[in-house]
Amino acid sequence: MKKQTLWMIIGSVCLAVLSLCVGPKWINPLQMDEVSRQILLSIRLPRVILSLLMGGALGASGAVLQGILRNPLADPYILGISSGAALLAALGLLLGSTAFGFFTIPVFAFVGAVLTGIAVGAMGYRRGGLWPERLLLAGVGVGFLFSSLLMLMMSLSSDEGMRRAILWIFGDLAMADWSLIPYGFVLILIGLILSLWRAKGLNALMLGDDIAHSLGFNPGRERWILFLAVGLMTAASVSMGGVVGFIGLLVPHIIRFVVGSDNRVLIPLSVVAGGALLCTADTIGRTAVAPMELPSGIITAVLGAPYFLYLLKQKDILGES
Amino acid sequence: MRRIFFYTLICLSLSGGAFAAPPERIISLAPNLTEILYAMGLEERIVGVTSYCDQPPRAKDKPKIGGMSNPSLEAVVSLRPDMVVMTTDGNPREFEVKMRNLHQRTYVFQARQISELPQGIRDLGAALGAEEQALALALRIQDALDRMRAGGSAQSPKRKALFIVWPEPMIVAGPWTAMDDALHLLGLENIAHDVKTKYPKYSVEEIIHRNPDVIFIGKGHGNMQEVSKGLLQKLRMLDAVKKGRVYFTGDALYRLGPRVIDGIEELSGYLNRE
Repeated sequence: MKKQTLWMIIGSVCLAVLSLCVGPKWINPLQMDEVSRQILLSIRLPRVILSLLMGGALGASGAVLQGILRNPLADPYILGISSGAALLAALGLLLGSTAFGFFTIPVFAFVGAVLTGIAVGAMGYRRGGLWPERLLLAGVGVGFLFSSLLMLMMSLSSDEGMRRAILWIFGDLAMADWSLIPYGFVLILIGLILSLWRAKGLNALMLGDDIAHSLGFNPGRERWILFLAVGLMTAASVSMGGVVGFIGLLVPHIIRFVVGSDNRVLIPLSVVAGGALLCTADTIGRTAVAPMELPSGIITAVLGAPYFLYLLKQKDILGES
Repeated sequence: MRRIFFYTLICLSLSGGAFAAPPERIISLAPNLTEILYAMGLEERIVGVTSYCDQPPRAKDKPKIGGMSNPSLEAVVSLRPDMVVMTTDGNPREFEVKMRNLHQRTYVFQARQISELPQGIRDLGAALGAEEQALALALRIQDALDRMRAGGSAQSPKRKALFIVWPEPMIVAGPWTAMDDALHLLGLENIAHDVKTKYPKYSVEEIIHRNPDVIFIGKGHGNMQEVSKGLLQKLRMLDAVKKGRVYFTGDALYRLGPRVIDGIEELSGYLNRE
């Protein structure tokens, strides 16, 4: 294990622990009164865990997708999954449905994400496997269709529900709750295990289908499994806290620059870095202008994008030289 | 600079209104103005309203000119109004300028707080040639406000309150809203009064720290009891939640019009129930 890897993991753990103490009020875990204990256990802890889960899932999804699509611009949302989730969540809000109680909107979003994933997968499918260009174009097409339908609903509706749908789409971790975490954890874990299990295949895919084939991998089949993994992780993440951008697109590039493009290392470290970044962003979001809150998605990009641009300009991030 | 320009326009429109004949074809660009016009008995003279104007219910039968933030210029002009009333809160300023360029008479309603409402109504009445009706309505509102203010100042010590507009994501009523005014008038302290926007996304942690004695949850889309469950679960250790001082209210305070009195009375009714 490289030195940077170790530091990254230690740093992330410290950040996560620190973020438990930081908020509108500083909480010392060793000296807590009843109010602080409740804030720490039922508000901050689920929120920190949610940010780690979501950030980790998005980081891993991005790394895997950039591999299977062989495209540095790929991110978990390029497959239209976010627009599908947002469309159904907005529909749920509009119908005023409370079919699943507190879970209603997450369930709607999850169903939307999964249905979109299946539709995009079906269109990317040909001759017994998934093909990068088909997947990419199917994702972009479906994404456009769904976001236009969402816009259409918003233009036609005079509803307060729509304003909330917009807020939700921007990503909001404030309502993190213990009840959502177990199911998100299981889905993300399954996706992550699938990705790591096929990480070798992903390495081969990145060299091109012919080489992958000669190394003993079936490219179409590898992509199917990995696509399923990404679909699970993204759907779980979007349904828990809305759409948080940047992490899935740029964190894998930053990590690839640090540790190289071996997916067996890249994927777990993208999980660590993605989680740490979202956790930090959310901590700033709930602290900076307290008692008001800022959406985490915005802060993630404000924190991460300048660093990424610096790497792009100053360092050999794409391995061109 | 734009502000000065805007106010100049308003002054011009006011002076213009004073000399012209009372308007007979009025278009309202805001739901609260529609309610005020109906309360002044000007129903016959209203020729167009926004698609949000649903109070009183028969306002829904008037021709529609689009939304509050995006009224249709063509729809307004085609109704041949001789007066378009609009508000600084919610209507785009550019629309006023466009109307003016088309030599259309406009009136911009200035009141933003409950305390400014009676005077706002009288100014509007003057611009529409309906001074008497406006005065009667303004006095009725002023009387009710004075009565409630007297009741509110008798409250001591001041209790802390919070008005939640939407539980998830949590949007609360901050300063410069009718809800904030109403809480203040009833002798309550709005714990979200110190933020810098009218409808902030508020921190759940901070609510627990500030520990309001009373929580109001406004009416929104869907079943508010159901939508608020998750939030109230998080706030379960607050006295307000434990002792059942969480009240689901109507939407009367969302519009600065005649129904704010009903809205304040509703809140006051909940407080007196204890």
